[in-house]
Amino acid sequence: MSTRVVDVRGRAVGVIEAGGGNALVYLHDIADVHAARSGLFPFHEALAREFRVVAPAHPGCADSDENDDIETIEDVVFHLLEALDVLGIDAFALVGAGVGGWLAAEFAVRHPVRVSRLVLLGATGLYVPDQPIGDVFMAAQSTDGGKYPDFRRMLFADEDGAEALALFPDGRGEIANEMLRYGTFRFLSRVGFRPPYLYNRTLRDRLYRYDRPALVVWGREDRLAPVAHADAYVDGLGDARIEMLEGAGHSTWIERPGEVASLVAGFLKA
Amino acid sequence: MHQVRLYCWHFMAYPHLPADFDDRYESGWVTVPNALWDRERSSTVYREYIDQLVYAEELGFDGLVLNEHHQNVYGLMPAPNLIAAALTQRTERAELVILGNILPLHLNPLRVAEEYAMLDNMSGGRLVAGFAVGGGPEAFNYDVPQPQARKQFWEAVDLIARSWTEDGPFRHEGRHYPLRYVNPWPRPLQRPHPPIWIPGALSLETMDEVAKRGYDFFLSSRRHDAATRMAVERFADRIEAHGGAFHPYRMGILLSVYVGESDERARAESRESIWYFLRNCVKGHLRSRGRNLTFGPGVPSASMASWEAYLGRADPATNNFGDVETWEELDHWSSVIVGSPTTVRERLWRMIESFRLGVILIQFHFGNLPDDLTRKSMRLFATEVAPGLRSDSGALFAEEFPTLGEMLERPEAAA
Repeated sequence: MSTRVVDVRGRAVGVIEAGGGNALVYLHDIADVHAARSGLFPFHEALAREFRVVAPAHPGCADSDENDDIETIEDVVFHLLEALDVLGIDAFALVGAGVGGWLAAEFAVRHPVRVSRLVLLGATGLYVPDQPIGDVFMAAQSTDGGKYPDFRRMLFADEDGAEALALFPDGRGEIANEMLRYGTFRFLSRVGFRPPYLYNRTLRDRLYRYDRPALVVWGREDRLAPVAHADAYVDGLGDARIEMLEGAGHSTWIERPGEVASLVAGFLKA
Repeated sequence: MHQVRLYCWHFMAYPHLPADFDDRYESGWVTVPNALWDRERSSTVYREYIDQLVYAEELGFDGLVLNEHHQNVYGLMPAPNLIAAALTQRTERAELVILGNILPLHLNPLRVAEEYAMLDNMSGGRLVAGFAVGGGPEAFNYDVPQPQARKQFWEAVDLIARSWTEDGPFRHEGRHYPLRYVNPWPRPLQRPHPPIWIPGALSLETMDEVAKRGYDFFLSSRRHDAATRMAVERFADRIEAHGGAFHPYRMGILLSVYVGESDERARAESRESIWYFLRNCVKGHLRSRGRNLTFGPGVPSASMASWEAYLGRADPATNNFGDVETWEELDHWSSVIVGSPTTVRERLWRMIESFRLGVILIQFHFGNLPDDLTRKSMRLFATEVAPGLRSDSGALFAEEFPTLGEMLERPEAAA
């Protein structure tokens, strides 16, 4: 695994790379690399055994500079385009989790020929009537003297699960990890605090433009992006299938790393 | 003789919460269900509170203070300019301080420039124009993304000030508020414009922006100790860094006060309302129990560097203002001052003397304090506390700030 910082038109972008083979660009979420802890998680390490995993940090997250000019997801798509130019990655498999899944979908509908295959893990990004995306900003505000049960419950099926507690403990955690979380929320605030709330109303009608194979992986207990959003992605994309994980929450890649990694690797190699 | 200026600040709290509110609800802000609003009993609160402010002018307070809050039980003034408009017609002399309009919550800062200019004319030039950026609850109230809120705020402030001082129409090519025609009618009565007050915490960055523009600073802290003294020094330092001179009217603080005939009686009469205020109204904002809407990653207004510094010194499990349970703890915060006229005068004097501040904004009505007790406390303060504070501060300021009169007459020399 290597961590490096590349210069993208005068701004630093932190990138973690691991493994070899065909390029797999991974766009992160909240309980994730660059956002909750430095370094890769078992899910990414499993993928790195078969692919060259390239995981850039969103603007303002981890080693990536903040960018005041980013106000919409469109701005982030353009930023990603520039980052990929610098990294010299032309065609690749694109795997996006949560908010990173939203970005992946936005990228794929604009540049379908560059994305050989698309994987969305609990992606936000769509407007689904009466199925609102959970308020992760409110959930991230502590209760009763620095406790985070609502935050963990938003991101995991079991708020008291070992991984949930390890990543988002009650009270003040490691300062470095707290700062990763804060940077991630500054990024999220820019693109999704003001409605449309972590979605783009026009994305759903544009999904058809990505007609290559896509895999949609969801936890049945996802409280950030309810499962109706998985159905909406599958309906909208040209060639998508769904893998629903019973009993899993939003962060399937953390909760079931082995299982989700095999699903993703199997799909990408098929 | 230049003396301490004493203002009466009304928050207009919701006074009819159920007794088990604290057990049942996580916050008095944003998510507090408005089904709790009691239509029959609540329609008269504005009349009662406005009457109290009119009474404050009768008692000789220098000014009346209002501010903006939304979707909460702490302050029922989502539109303080409406209350100010009523006060322009019912008062004659007192300054009307709106502290302030929360600019990022307004669609267009020109609307604020226009309303403030109306109020300045309607009041005969008595408006003090406050501008606030808003905090965590306000972010949730109106979906304001926090990372850019401060820049947006200062653009709005500068646009308003320019619209009051520069002849229109002119074009504003701003990042957040691009406007082709800036040309407000009416213009404010005061020249060059109404005094501008900006509230802030201990942030050096905010103080610097305020000092740079020659505006006045209001410290929105609920604890008064060495940190308040430090804030005064910091702000004075920033003023001097920009070529100005600090004097006691450049900065104000907020205190809650209840005056009774004796210490015992003051406590007995105010106890229920003080803890109604602390447990319910402050919950969600400055209380560790319940949800913290003010600080946290969900409302990331602090820069990365400021947040890292904050994490280094703050322990989220520490008791906050709203967690105070005893009179002794309350005294320790020096923010809610309760007692006989002698006690209140001594404690306020110690602060004026220590902080060298000439702007004291006092909340007399808190929580569900009944009208008769609110008025009695205000009256005792005005007749038995204020005169001594005024004369003592006059002597102090004359000694410490011998050129104060000159600075006030020629504010450009101080700015």
